[in-house]
Amino acid sequence: MEQVTGSLSVIGAGFAFGVGAIGPALAIGWIGSKTIESMARQPEMAGRLQTTMFIALALAEAIALFGFVLAFVLMGQ
Amino acid sequence: MEKIGEGVAELLHELSVLSLSGKELQAGEWTLTNYMFFLLIAVVVTMVFLMVGSRKVKLVPTSRLGSLMEMGVEFVRDSLCADVMGQEGVRYLPFIGSVFFLVLFNNLIGLLPGFKPGTGTMGTTVAWALMVFVVYNGIGIKKHGLFGYLKSFWPKGIMAPLAAFVALLEIISQLVRPLTLSVRLYANMYAGHVILGIFSIFAALMLEASGIMKIAAVLPIAIQAVLYALELFVAVIQAYIFAVLTAVYINGALHTH
Repeated sequence: MEQVTGSLSVIGAGFAFGVGAIGPALAIGWIGSKTIESMARQPEMAGRLQTTMFIALALAEAIALFGFVLAFVLMGQ
Repeated sequence: MEKIGEGVAELLHELSVLSLSGKELQAGEWTLTNYMFFLLIAVVVTMVFLMVGSRKVKLVPTSRLGSLMEMGVEFVRDSLCADVMGQEGVRYLPFIGSVFFLVLFNNLIGLLPGFKPGTGTMGTTVAWALMVFVVYNGIGIKKHGLFGYLKSFWPKGIMAPLAAFVALLEIISQLVRPLTLSVRLYANMYAGHVILGIFSIFAALMLEASGIMKIAAVLPIAIQAVLYALELFVAVIQAYIFAVLTAVYINGALHTH
């Protein structure tokens, strides 16, 4: 029984990160493409757009990292 | 396959918080851990860099270190303080500069072979994120007064039940900030080192094996070189993000709506 829960928690950990990373991955791609679009349209705004882009990227990335930490928590079960 | 598992287990053990001599920590034990040791090294490096760089400041910097430091400080002043918070944000240059350089040197030192990043453990990053949390809330309270600052969470012009809900969301998002700030830095550093370690394990095992596998070991080594460059980039970007988010939070506390 213990072995079964152990294996299941490893599978769960994999899913927690794998599935949890889908949304942030899409978000990061979208942020990047939109920033490039805006930069191409208004190159003089590039500096400020980049700062805003990094902030948005950091927020999207945080969601993926919750999955990463959750995976570690599950591995310890 | 079994050897890979053993290697990974050893790697994770090596990356966990141990005492300086490599022993497991006992509950309630007070000792210098491996991460604290490298954190101290990074603190000393940061202090030496900033002190030596700022010695004999001239209009035109003559020493290499001096101009390097000036570039760094100018970057913090212009693109972290002034761009995010406006001209009044330059007042917070000392705080944001300290945070930026400390995180940067911690991350970079962790990339030297045999070294660990002081930021690669939850302890360090949670402490820093809590410090940032206290500082930006303190700045907000100092500017608006305790009541005025708390009132800024309550949106104006909408009916009370909805406003209460928005205020609740606002307070939750405030409380999650130190968590996301610390986990982002820690997880990036930790995951980067785990990946570098795993490719070293692959390379070592393939070099141990015979025949064609020995030649194929070129592949993980090449991947590792690319990953190392990526980690160098991540180290700088994470320092930038930590500092820019600190600036954004201070800006939010200063200009409440």
